[in-house]
Parts: sequence; structure tokens; C-alpha cells
Amino acid sequence: MRQSRILPLLLSLLLICQSVWAQTPVTGRVTDVRDGTPLSGVTVTIKNTNTGTTTDANGTFTLNVSENARLIFSFVGYQSLELPTNSVANVSLSRGENALSEVVVVGYGTRIRRDLTGSVSKISAREINNLPLPSFESALQGRAAGVFINSGSGKLGQALDIRIRGISSISASTQPLFVIDGVPVVSQALGTANTEPDNPLAVINPEDIESIEVLKDASSAAIYGSRAANGVVIVTTKTGKAGKTRVNFGFYTGVSSPTKKQEFLNAAEYRELFTDAIKNSSRNGVRYTRDDPAAAWKRYTGNNDWATNTDVDANWADEAFQDGSVQQYSIAVSGGDNKTKFLLSGNYNDQKGIILGNQLNKFTGKINLDHNLSERLKTGLNIAGLKMVNDRVPDDNDFANPVQLNALPPIQRIYNDDGTLNRQTIYYNNLIDQVANINRGITFRSIGNLFAQYSFTKNFYFRSEFGFDWQDLEEEQFYSKETETGATYNGLSANYSTKASTWNVRNYVNYSQTFKDLHEISGVAGIEYQEYNTRANGLQGASLPNDQFKKIASAAKIVFGSSTTNNSSFASYFARGNYKFNNRYLLQASVRVDGSSRFAKDERYGVFPSVSAGWIISEENFLRKSDWLSFLKLRAGYGRTGNAEIGNFAYRTLWGAAFYADQAGIVPTQIGRDDLRWETSDQVDIGLDFGIIKNRVTAEVDYYVKKTKDLLLNFQLPTQNGFGTITKNIGKMENRGWEFTVSSRNLVGAFKWNTSINVSSYKNEVTDMGGSTLNGGSRQLGRVEAGKPFGYFYGPQYLGVDPANGDALYADVAGKPTNDPDLAADFEIGNPHPEFYGGFNNNFSYKGFDLDVQSQFVSGNDLYNIAGFFQSVNGDFYDNQTRDQMSYWRKPGDITDVPQPRLLDGNGAIKSSRWVQDGSYFRIKNVVLGYTIPRNSLRRLKIENARVYVAANNLFTFTDYKGYDPEVNATYISNINLGHDFYTPPQAKTITVGINVGF
Amino acid sequence: MKLINKYFFLLIILALGFTRCNKKLDIEPEQSVDAINALRTAGDVESAVVGTYSILGSGPLYGNNLLLLPELIVADDNLDWYGTFKGFADIYNSGTDKFNIEAQRTWASAYAAINVANNILPSLNVVSNADAKKRIEGEALFVRGLMYFELLRLYSNPDPSKNGGLGVPLILTATTNEEQASQKKGRDPISAVYTSIMADLTKAISLLPSTNNPGRATSWAAKAIMARVHLQRGEYDKALQFSNDVIENGSFSLNSGVTAVFYNKNTPESIFEIQQNDQNTAFNANDGLTTFYGNWPNGVGRADIEPSYDFYYSHDPADKRFNELFGFGELTSPFPDGLYTKKWKELGQNIPIIRLAEMYLIRAEANQRLGSAVGATPEDDIAVIRSRAGLSPISNPTLNDILMERRFELAFEGFRSHDYKRLRATSAPLPWNADRYVLPIPERERLANELLIQNVGY
Repeated sequence: MRQSRILPLLLSLLLICQSVWAQTPVTGRVTDVRDGTPLSGVTVTIKNTNTGTTTDANGTFTLNVSENARLIFSFVGYQSLELPTNSVANVSLSRGENALSEVVVVGYGTRIRRDLTGSVSKISAREINNLPLPSFESALQGRAAGVFINSGSGKLGQALDIRIRGISSISASTQPLFVIDGVPVVSQALGTANTEPDNPLAVINPEDIESIEVLKDASSAAIYGSRAANGVVIVTTKTGKAGKTRVNFGFYTGVSSPTKKQEFLNAAEYRELFTDAIKNSSRNGVRYTRDDPAAAWKRYTGNNDWATNTDVDANWADEAFQDGSVQQYSIAVSGGDNKTKFLLSGNYNDQKGIILGNQLNKFTGKINLDHNLSERLKTGLNIAGLKMVNDRVPDDNDFANPVQLNALPPIQRIYNDDGTLNRQTIYYNNLIDQVANINRGITFRSIGNLFAQYSFTKNFYFRSEFGFDWQDLEEEQFYSKETETGATYNGLSANYSTKASTWNVRNYVNYSQTFKDLHEISGVAGIEYQEYNTRANGLQGASLPNDQFKKIASAAKIVFGSSTTNNSSFASYFARGNYKFNNRYLLQASVRVDGSSRFAKDERYGVFPSVSAGWIISEENFLRKSDWLSFLKLRAGYGRTGNAEIGNFAYRTLWGAAFYADQAGIVPTQIGRDDLRWETSDQVDIGLDFGIIKNRVTAEVDYYVKKTKDLLLNFQLPTQNGFGTITKNIGKMENRGWEFTVSSRNLVGAFKWNTSINVSSYKNEVTDMGGSTLNGGSRQLGRVEAGKPFGYFYGPQYLGVDPANGDALYADVAGKPTNDPDLAADFEIGNPHPEFYGGFNNNFSYKGFDLDVQSQFVSGNDLYNIAGFFQSVNGDFYDNQTRDQMSYWRKPGDITDVPQPRLLDGNGAIKSSRWVQDGSYFRIKNVVLGYTIPRNSLRRLKIENARVYVAANNLFTFTDYKGYDPEVNATYISNINLGHDFYTPPQAKTITVGINVGF
Repeated sequence: MKLINKYFFLLIILALGFTRCNKKLDIEPEQSVDAINALRTAGDVESAVVGTYSILGSGPLYGNNLLLLPELIVADDNLDWYGTFKGFADIYNSGTDKFNIEAQRTWASAYAAINVANNILPSLNVVSNADAKKRIEGEALFVRGLMYFELLRLYSNPDPSKNGGLGVPLILTATTNEEQASQKKGRDPISAVYTSIMADLTKAISLLPSTNNPGRATSWAAKAIMARVHLQRGEYDKALQFSNDVIENGSFSLNSGVTAVFYNKNTPESIFEIQQNDQNTAFNANDGLTTFYGNWPNGVGRADIEPSYDFYYSHDPADKRFNELFGFGELTSPFPDGLYTKKWKELGQNIPIIRLAEMYLIRAEANQRLGSAVGATPEDDIAVIRSRAGLSPISNPTLNDILMERRFELAFEGFRSHDYKRLRATSAPLPWNADRYVLPIPERERLANELLIQNVGY
């Protein structure tokens, strides 16, 4: 019996505490300060314990308390209140923003914001309800300081690029860890290459979310150890509240359109530009009849459209877009009593995207059940089930990407006279794809958590949790033989299935105690185990009888088949302790030991400690009496976090299968080294929190330095030895930055006005690459090099046009202009990292009306439009050109940026700063205008509450960027090419109207 | 207390479920094996040999680039590239830069194949069957020799006055660990690489059997490659000797028609042929010879390449190669009216690398140059090729007639720029030894290995 030694120990602990459990019952009632309505579901806890209850439908509660205890009343959307037991008979809570008293989830527990020693951003349910969010993470955009989010494009269900406090890895993941109700979930896109990756987080219904916390600094995040280097995003879903059963119904509907459409040449302009391009070409008179645009066109395209289509003026670019729409229905039922609480919710969301053929719908359902078996033991279950069907658009680099239609010349018809789509176009008329093909991703997902919590004493509990996340993505593709890809295969049908599952177990104890009213200690310690398993299989069948047959069952030959399994696991031990002295000195320390299957036996375990401290200066006598300063806290912390988001077996040297027609062989696939270990980040954070004028204005300032070492770098090897890269710990990176948040309740009377602003900036520098350098590619500018920011733009410097002859000019090695592209030297020509970014949010309310205006800004970053090679290159080939190309050089003396058009001569066509632009923007991200119908007029209808609203997403965007949308990231290029645009669709502007009714 | 105890024990048991966590961290990959276990048995080594061919058949090598790039490098009177793939377009325009993706992937794949061969050679002792051991060694040497030959032809300027006779780095030992994988070695002289090629192929000829599984090296394939190597080097006597040996003593025969070697698999004419099937093929919507050359009425192919009209019309109208191996797109094809070669037709088509017709052409050229008639006169050899194409013989053909016949016969099979350089031609916009007719050493390689000297002009 191994327990024998532990058991007596725990039992004795139990008995000791039993003796201090002397109690008297206290009863009270909680109401809203504004209209006196009883508040049900208010959490009432005894301070410094885990004991508590919630108010019933009448707002009343009963609790056994010891004599000099204090009670804490907390309720979502209201200011928490702490009262001695003798004054709780009638408690009124006011709605409010007192950020200091909000409860913050910090991983394996919660803290009051006032007592935090680290840097944590919180978004609560109120802020994200009713917004037509593409997925819940986008709610963090502009709301959380230090969190940079790039939605990439307006494609539905697309993964977001999230960077918390800069970028701290080159080859491993740069995305934060997502923890949903305690379960670290799979947040990497599953699915096959060459299709737009589905965002696995898009299946989570934002309406089910109670709060999102972002653990930004390492002293907060280190409790998640090896996976926290990019920060941790903790999502907590809603739970039931005791009291009368409540039914909430919500509905919204809306329309969407692109934030911007780009301007391309019309037929007349096109003919003008290309007539010159042909005349000036070195091929004029060589490859086609001199000065004959129709002949040149025929020579290079194989048709007569130049000569015959004099009446055609097609707007191909607009064909890529459609009017989008969105609808959502949601219902939630919640209630319970003191023993059992429940919440059931269901949601249906249907979206039609702004890009042709893009459609998404999802169902989500959720059950949340809590039950107290006894005073000491409670259990709960929380399961969310989801189904999402996404009719996807191809990736940016695919000829079938509808945005690439803008390359087609306006002198070519979209439709033939008989109404069929014109197939004789210089590039593929991918509208044919939209008619005939299927590209669908179907995701089933369930995320759940089951727990039991046993309180040995009021100060000490044990909690055991079992969590799971099962995800099944099925990709169904059909390529008609009428389409480009389909023709190659005489009709192609493909089906891929990826099942990613993870389960984890967490067991931990939590202890909290106050001694002599001066010393508050609390701590948590536990163990966690997590296993990931990904099973994928796929099949492609070619040669289908005709387009009526779309499944592999009808295919004559199988051209691809595969099944794979990948596993990994983590075993972890963690502990955290907090100490508060005299309500003003705060200390926290934590440690986590993580073991991962991704590393060799000797390197398997990593230790991730943290320590932080806070000093609530405003509690000190010399500040206590201050009229204007109501709160002042200084905090500082250090922590170490890790990153192991690399391939499962990167440390090994492996051989894998390779095929030679019917013969199966093996080849080396990877070279590794046994001593591969975690990438570690050491981060120091210093912060100052303050509140003035009775906390009407609160602010937080943070400065951090994050140094990452032992980067898990795919180090470039000379391929002459047989291998291209090896994953090794080499190199260092640094991010340092400021974050500044200020919230103010400007007006607090009948007319209320709240403002919050956050601004962040960071400087990223790769400090060591072990002598290696990474380049983005022949068309891309991204580069990683020691001494420079990650992904800075590096390439030839475009110097405009020689007024004498219309030649494009570049800087040579000496920086002098040259018209010979071969002599153009490479320079640092841009930085994709913003100088600063943030959000500016205002909230107004008067009587039943409320108006929320949330904006977001990014400043000082550069963007590079790779599509410039085709669309802004003064007619180097027959691609339609952006309208700015019309200012091309025409005669000696012309001062312009656009070189003389010369068909196929490559005048100004090399990769260069020509297509680098300022990517700064300011965007009115969300505007919500709502009206809450007065209760009196609703009573007769037996309606508890009702609200109607109008909301707009991406309403206005202010930018100098000439492409579709400055919030962009092309999807097909490697991760080092930040801020690159390549026929990437714009974001959607969505306007919705909606209603919420509660019964 | 009883109730408490019950739950209490439950929790304790839960907690103890963890003691074996560490064991759970031992996870083995399921789609790969550790290198240590990769080459332990004869069967393992046999698999590795197949592995080398699978790399040979990939898009960067014979699946596409080794046949396509030589056509694009000197494209002038040969074909036009209309596609948007920058890597190919730049090579076609002689505007290649040091980042060229095609130059990069071909370099990497050729060396990957060489590395598998280098891994096989020291593992031969696990093969107990003497015949199998000889064959496997021969195949590994064949692949290695062949790859160095291809690398030299693409990345080295044959004119020593232009680039100091720099060849490519000669790696002849297996890479099994990081230290070896990161070793930096500069370019060896062309002469040293040729010496190694000769040594590998000579030994391969002695070790290889005369027949093998489809698509695998035989002693005849090695001899035929030898003939090609010697021809490239202007060593006509040796080229003659090897081509004659293959024609006279090999069991190959010309197919009766001109299309069979492309549309059928492993025909009697084929000496070495890359095997493909519908599933394992270099062809897809973005790669493969059919994809780039094709302009088929059923929509197959991107019609990125159009053969030059001058070349097309220089055929005799009676030439079966003119009538059966060229086509014009129709309304349903990607490039209506567009001319295209019909040599590359299907997804899972085999790719002939050396066929008997080339041996006849080599023998004819060598005999012509040497003024000899070993095996047959140049007139007879050319007549064999021409009569198969439905043409009458040329009496007393000139060297130019023979070279023209070679162009007609081997068009779009990866010979154009190699022949242009070999013949020291100057007809295209740039002369045979032009900087731009040599691919750059990929910049990525130079960043990883500063000992590599870049070719002049990049």
C-alpha cells in the first residue's frame, strides 16, 4: 500500500482544520443598485476561502460563516463588493467597471486583479456578445494591449495570426497556447496542403464564452511552462447560475461587403497602355509585325480578342466578390438550485462570404452541469459539441483563387454570347471552378471537461479534472474535368480525413489561509498529463464518368492514398504559491516541470520557474489619504517559459518510404541530434497600475524584455550532403516593448461615457543565428539575419524612373542609380513589424440606449505586394494593371514612378522596394448601437429583458495602402515572409441587426 | 466520515495513476524508422536502392527538370515559354537569379539521390547473396555517376576560361550524422568530377546485370550513359565504342512507330526509363512534363510551352515525328491554336531517359567525326532513324545532317542546351559558354556553405 504514508498525513490535516470550522448562519439579499431588482446567481464567498454560495431567484442567500469573516459578492458585469458579515442583510451591487475587483483566471485558479503581480489582459462576455465575430480570438484585436492580431483576409473560417509581445521563434510555432476550460486544445490548422487552412478555433461559439484571459508576461504564463513562450490564452465558458430558470434567445442578421475593391484598368486604358508596351518592346518587329498590337496579342495569347473585342470592357476584378450575409440564432437555458446548476445552449450560424463561393455554417451545442454531492464534494461536466461546414476558397497562390481574376484583361469577355463562361482567356477563368467544383471542409469537434473537487477544509481542496478535445476534419474536394486541375486528371475527387484528439488529466490541490489578518497565503500544486494523437487518411480518385459523379466510388483510378498516425505527450508537475502581507505586499512564485515525448530521453524534462512581486503603494500611510490617487501598484516579475512546437520527432535521424512506380523503397528523410531541447524564453516585466479619482481613471503600464535562447531553428545545411535542414537549438532573439492601457469613466451620470485606450509597441531583434541566414524566396523579401528584426525586408532598392529614357532605376552596391537589374544590390528596404499598435474604445449609454465604438490601429509597418510583379509592372505581360500604372513614362523629361511599358522586357520587373508600401491603418472595428427595452413595458409579455441593436464590423478603414486591405497575410508563403500580400482577399465589412430576449 | 473516506480513497487512487507518466513519453514514429535501424538487412538495403530511383523520378530530376531545364536554357530556336512560373520563365529569358527555385530544387534532389547511394555503398556487407550485392553496388554507383554528370552539365561552365573549370562539390561518403551533414566543401574541378563519374560508371558496368527490374539500371544502361558522357566531352572514340556496344550486343530494338516509346511502358527501344504510375508520378497540376508541355484538347496540360514554329516547319511534311508528335490546340484546350509536342501525354507516363535511337545518333556522329564506319556507316545509322519516321535516307550525310536528325529525334527530351554547349554553337542570342546558360549555385547553398564559389554573372 503506497498510500499508507500519505493517508494519515492528510487525515490529520483534515482533523486539525475541522476544529476551526465554527459557524453561524448569515442571510441576506442582493439587488441592483440602479432599480432594486433582485440579482440571482451572485457569487457570495467567504474571504480567503473557497467556501461560498450563490443567490437564488429572489436574490437571497444563506451561508454559514465564522464570526469575524468577511463576504465577497461578485457578479459578472457588476463591481464586486467586500462586506463584514454584520452588514449583508441588504446588499446592492452597482454595474461597473471597477477593473481592480474583477476576478481573473490565471490557470489552475483565479486571482482578484488588485492582487495580480503579472500582466494579464481580460475580455469579458459583455464585450463580445452580439458581435458578428469571424471567430472568438478576433475579439482580442484592439482590446488587449500587447496582443497583435492579423486576420489575414476576409475568408471565412480562416486562421488568425496572433502574436503576443512580438515574435519569439523562427522555426517553431509563434502562436499562443489556447486553454479552453482547462484543456490545452489543438489550435494548429489541420488539413491538407494547398487548401486554405481552416481555423480550428472558429468552431467555438463566442456566445458561450464567459471570459478570455491572456497571460502575457512570463511570471503569469510560466505555470504553463514549456508551451507558454508565446503567451497563453485562457477561455472560460459560461456556467449556470442558481435561481429561476432563464431562457435567452438571440438573433441577428446582416450583410457584408469587401472593405475595399481595387481599381484596375478599363478596356480603353488597357489598350492605350499595351499599345505603347508593344511598340516599345524589344520584340517589336521581331516576334510579331511591327507596331501591331493585335498581332502581338495573337502571338502571345493564341486568340484574336484584341482585334475583335472592340466592344468588350469587362470588370474581372469585381467578379471575385459577392454580397455576403450572416445570420445567427442562439438560445441558452440556464438555472438550478444550490445543489445543481445547469446551462444548455445552442447556436446556429450561417455566413455567406464576400469571396465568390465562400460559405460557412456551424451548429454548436453546449451542456454545462455542476452538482454538489455534499458540502465538500462537487462535480461538474462541461461539453461543447460543434459542427462546421466551410465551402472554402483556394489558397492565394492558386489560379482558382477568385481574386486572381483581376489579372484578366478587360478586353476579354467573361461570358460568351451563349451565356457560357469564356474559356479562352490568358489566364484561367476560374469562375468555371465556382460553378463546377467543390472544396468543402467539414469539422466535427467536441471539447469537454469533467471535474470533481473535494474540500478537506474550507481552506484546502483537491481537484481532479479530465479534459478532452476531439476534432475531426473531413475535406471533400471535387474538380470537374471542365476546370484546370480537374482536366489534368479527367475529373478528380478527393477525400481527406484528419482526426486530432487530445485528452488530459489534471490533479491538483489548492490551499489558502489568512493568519492574523496580515498574512494571506495560497498555493496550488499538481500534476498533469496530456496526450495528442493525430490520425489522417486521404484518397484521390481520377477519371470520373462526368460531372454528375463526384465521389471516389465513381473514379476509374486511385491516384493517391495515404494514412498516417502521429502521437505526442506531455507529463508535467507544477506548483504556485502566493503570499500577501498586510494587504499591500504581494509575492508569487511558481515552477513547472514539463516532460515531452518530442525530445530524447536525456533532454526530455525542462524546468520553468517564475517569481514576481507587487507593492500596493496606495495602501501605505503616506498615500492613503490622497484625494486623487485611489490606487497605485508597482509590480515586477521574471519567468522562464518554453516552446516545443516543432515536429514530433525532430531530434531523430529518420528514414521513410519512397516509391518508384510499383516498387517501394526507403530514403533518409531527416537528420537530427539527440541533444535537442526546449526553446527557452526569459522574460522580465515591470508594471505600474494606478487609479485616480476614486478609480474612475485606471491605467496599466508595462515594460518587458523577453530574451529567447536556444531557438529551435531549422538550421540550413549545405544540401550537398543530402539534407536541407536540421532542427537544432541555435540562435537568440529579443523582444522588448511597452504596453499602456488607460480606462476612464468620463461621465457617470444618467449619460455615461467610458473610454479605454491601449497602445503597445515592441522591438524585435534576432540577436544570433549561428552564422545562418534565411531568405524568403525569389519573389519574397522576408529575411532572418542576426542583428535585424525577424522577417525584415531585404532586396533591391527601386529608385524610380530615369526621366531621360523611361528605364527603371535601382541602387547599385554604391547606392548609385543603375538601369541594369543585374547590378542592383540588396538593401534593407522595410520592416513588417509595427512601430506601435492598439485600440481606442468608447462606450456611451443614456437611459436604455448604449453605443459602443471600438477601433483598432497599427502604425509604422511595411507591406509588400508580391502581386505587383504582375499587376503593377507597367504592362510587362498582358495581366491587367492597377490604375496607378497609367502614369507611366511617355516622353523624355517625364517625372514619374512608373517606367516605360515594354512588353516582356522586364523594365522595372525585378523584386524590389517598388512594391513595398506603408501598411499603417486605423480601423473602426466594431460599432454597436443598442436599445434595452424598459422592463415595465415588457412585464405584460412575460419577458424579463429585451434588447435590440445594430452592429457594424470593419465599418471604416483609413490607410494609404493601395492594395485591397492593409490587414493582410498571404497564406502560401513561408512564415518568415510577414506582411506579404498576394491576391489576398480583403476583410469583410459586416452590418447586422439583432435582438436578444430573455424569459 | 465513511462517505468522506470513500471519496478520499477515490481521489488518492486517481492521483497515483500518474506514477507511470514518464513511460508514456516514449513514443515511436509510425511513418519512419530510426536511421540506426534503416539498413540492417539485405531487404533494407534493397529498399534503399529503390529509394534512389524514386528520387530520380521526382520533379526536380527526371520527373521534370532534367528534361525541361536543358530545353529552356537555350530556348531561342527551340521553344517559347509562356507560363507564369518564375523559376522556369527566368531560365527561359536568361534572366535567372541566384534564388531560382528550379536551380535550388534540382541541386538538392540530385545530392539527396547521391547521399542515398553513398549510404548504400558502406552497407553492402549485410547483403549475403553475391549477385545481389554486385547488382546493388552497381546500381548505387550508376545513380551517383549519373547525378554528377547531370550536375556538371547544368551548374558548370564547360569553358574553363569562363569560370576556372569549377565543377561541383564531389561528395562520396555517406551522411549519417549532423557533423557530416554540415560539412562544408567547395567545388571540385570539372576534371575531378569527370574522373569520379568515369570511375563510378566503369565499375557499375562491371557489376550490373544485363537485365534488371523495370526502370532499374543494367550494364547496358550504364554503357549507354557512358556513350552520352563521352559524346558530351567530345571523346568520340569512346562514345563510338560504347554506343556501338549497346547497339550491337544489347537486346534492344527500335520500336516500329515514333510514339510507342512515350505512350507505352518499357518498350524494346528503351534502355533506361523512369517508371511512373498513376499514383507515384512527378506529374500533377503544377509539375511534370505533361503539365508544362501539354495542350491537349481534353484540357490536360497548362500549355506553358510552345515549340518554335521555325523548328516545327523545318520538319519534312512526311516525317511521322512531325505528324504524330506535334499537335495544335483545339477550342477546348488551354491554348487554342497553340502548337505543342505530343511526347508528354499522360499523368502516369514513363519517362524514357536513354533509348536506342540516341545510340544510333551517337554512333553516326562519332563515326562521321572520326571518318570511320564502326558497326555501320553514318548514312546507314541515320537511315535507320529516318526510315522509322517514314523518311527516305540521306546519302552521304554531313555532320550537320546528323545533328539535325538528332534534333528532330530527341526534341524536348532534354538535349537542347547540352548539345548547344557541346557543339560550341553561337547561333542563339548568347554563345555556348555564356554565363547565363549556366545555372547559378543556389544562394541558399552559398549561405550555408561559403566555400561554394558562385558562377560568374550571378
